[in-house]
Amino acid sequence: MRALQDVNLDLAAGRIHALVGQNGAGKTTLARVLAGLQVPDRGRVWMMGREIPGGNVRAAQEAGLAMVHQHFSLPPSFTVAEALELTAARPGGRPVYRRGQLERRWRREVAGLDGIPSLSARIRDLPVEARQSLEIVRASASQARVLLLDEPTALLTPSSTESLFERLRQLPDDGITVLVVLHKLREVEEVADTVSVLRDGRLILDAVEMEEVGQGRLSDAIVGPARAGGAAVFEGTAPSSSSSSGGGRVHLRLKGVSTAGFSAEVGLQEVGLHVEAGEIVGVAGVEGNGQRSLVSAIAGLSGVEQGEIHIGGEEAAADPPARRRRRGLRLVPFDRYTEGVSSSAPLWLNQSSLRLVQRSGVRRSVVSVRRLRASAGQALDRWRVRYQTVTQPASSLSGGNLQRLILSRELDEGVEILVAAQPTRGLDFAAAEFVRRALVGMRDIGAGVLLVSSDLDELFEMSDRLLVMLGGRITAEFRPPYDRRAVGDAMTGAVR
Amino acid sequence: MEQVLATTLRAAAPLVYAALAGVFAFRAGIFHLGLEGLMITGAFIAVAAGQAAGSALVGLLAAAAVCMVLSVLFWWVIGPLRADAIIAGLGLTSIGLGGTAYALTAIFDTRGTIFTEVVLPRPVRGVTEGWGVVVSESSILVWLMPVFVLASWVVLRRSRFGLRLAAVGEYPFAARSAGVDPSRMRLWALLIAGALCALAGAELSVGALRNFTENMTNGRGFIAFVAVIFGAWHPIGAAAAALFFGLADAVGTQSQINITEAVPREFVLMIPYVLTIAAVWLGGLWRRRSLEASAGYAELRAPDD
Repeated sequence: MRALQDVNLDLAAGRIHALVGQNGAGKTTLARVLAGLQVPDRGRVWMMGREIPGGNVRAAQEAGLAMVHQHFSLPPSFTVAEALELTAARPGGRPVYRRGQLERRWRREVAGLDGIPSLSARIRDLPVEARQSLEIVRASASQARVLLLDEPTALLTPSSTESLFERLRQLPDDGITVLVVLHKLREVEEVADTVSVLRDGRLILDAVEMEEVGQGRLSDAIVGPARAGGAAVFEGTAPSSSSSSGGGRVHLRLKGVSTAGFSAEVGLQEVGLHVEAGEIVGVAGVEGNGQRSLVSAIAGLSGVEQGEIHIGGEEAAADPPARRRRRGLRLVPFDRYTEGVSSSAPLWLNQSSLRLVQRSGVRRSVVSVRRLRASAGQALDRWRVRYQTVTQPASSLSGGNLQRLILSRELDEGVEILVAAQPTRGLDFAAAEFVRRALVGMRDIGAGVLLVSSDLDELFEMSDRLLVMLGGRITAEFRPPYDRRAVGDAMTGAVR
Repeated sequence: MEQVLATTLRAAAPLVYAALAGVFAFRAGIFHLGLEGLMITGAFIAVAAGQAAGSALVGLLAAAAVCMVLSVLFWWVIGPLRADAIIAGLGLTSIGLGGTAYALTAIFDTRGTIFTEVVLPRPVRGVTEGWGVVVSESSILVWLMPVFVLASWVVLRRSRFGLRLAAVGEYPFAARSAGVDPSRMRLWALLIAGALCALAGAELSVGALRNFTENMTNGRGFIAFVAVIFGAWHPIGAAAAALFFGLADAVGTQSQINITEAVPREFVLMIPYVLTIAAVWLGGLWRRRSLEASAGYAELRAPDD
């Protein structure tokens, strides 16, 4: 298996080129090859008529390429000025500096950026949007001729995405060429001049003008003809619950819940909400406004200072996570690889861990590993997880397959209330659609779903009600039809 | 008073150099527990080569060269060979302690001490009264301590090299995307650390004394490592912590209180190692906290880092 296969791509200067494709299609690999972070087995790269030796970051930078990474590339403990000095390849820096000197040197670039109080502020204290803008400042300060952005919108709110795109549109006027990796077709249409599509490491569309492609042709190119079965997968796999839960029954209720902050995020402040049987309640908000605290308080991963949490009608604020799960709470956590699974443990153990905790289907204290492996394998097959053997470690799965594994574990017969935190983040179109169908399927059989997401389109499409979190509080509630602008204002606390 | 200060400086000098070595390694993200082994090697080579060449300075240079070669070995084991740095560091210490003891019997045919006539320059000598006592009979390395501390501070905290080194230690992906090779930066840090350890060892054997004794470092490398943690991996902080340990040593000697009468000797000998364990624990605690402080990074960390 190769990440990239015989890719020939010509990008005209001074334009905005979009690169799209599913997860694992090779987008990031292509970007890394261009930036010199990865040596290609075969093939060559030219920039402005100059050949760039493979795997040489410096040479790529000197030829005028700057890359904005999907993963933040600024060290958290550095000050803004130090981080810029570290990463921006701009001539004129001295080997030894004074603090004030450094800050003067970078003052102009940072002026006018929101969320950066001063040049001596630490990167880790900055909001996500500010870090993102710094990444772009860093790239443009290096006097780049070619700017490469790997999924820059993944963490941004709609308004920040909008201002990012505004910046990008100005770049071609200065003769700068932009190649941007994107996930959402709406964003491609908004910003790109041409679009290229990668599928399974091969180039399907080669810098085609945006006017010449319709959305239909684009999504066909991305998904490919053979993969259309994604939609049918969920049918029949939905656990046929006894549907004892009648409509209107409240599965989850929070009353005046306050908590301490969770992992550097604000704590909850008197949060009240409820999720009834058969509804999807969306939670929107700029990241870091208490979503993690909310999920960890419901899951029982962090303590509650005051207030009540009812799960399945019973007070559960003092219950440990295992007891909450026995009451029907299920969780799709924020970070698949570190919170959702034990990534070094084999697939079968990850798949059956919930059953072992709940002792459902495992009555005796002695368990049969062989039987667990077999039933885990069946579950994985039902959920169309692509794997070689049930003994391979969970870390070997791609994001989409890992999420299927987590769903196969969490959506068993006992589910009453499902808390899904960013369940589709970073997934490709097909995998994201699969997850959304699974959530809708849960609702339709009478479970309650609390969906925390930073993808507004997803929230609008899925939610029966939409709550907005700001500063650890729930500050607004919306019902369909949703007004994008009103929700955006509530998220940022803007008053118009 | 003057006498206490003089003893403090002399006791602290090897600790300060070794602590600076530890800071360089720590900044590059390496828990360097091989300081002790490099120090004893430096002390031995300084005497052996110095005696052979008839010059302590030549001995010092030879010690630095050997310690840097050992540092390259250490780098090769924990870098390209991917060994655990703490285990490999302890291994380096064993090599140093065992190797010098073996060389003592193999080359000099003795199991205890070898003496030498060569000694590092001592700018002020023979003062017995007033404040001059503080620096009298001190080797050039004691005089140069502030220079090295300040230079380390500039290099680590106010230079591009220092920024790159810190990025390598904290977030290698950041370094790589800035066109910095983390492996090469770690090698630089370990080379500097090796040379500084050689200075620390040489100060012991041809600076303050004129001999080499088996296991003469006596846990000072570990104390220096503790100073790195207590000094918050800042060159000035680590040097201050090392000075404090030197002061404690000096007060103990000067006040003539024989602590070994009240406490079994074995417990006193344990102190460096107990403090090291505490420091490793504190260091781990700090790492976890800084990870939590940068929440959101954990999940965004590039998979290959």
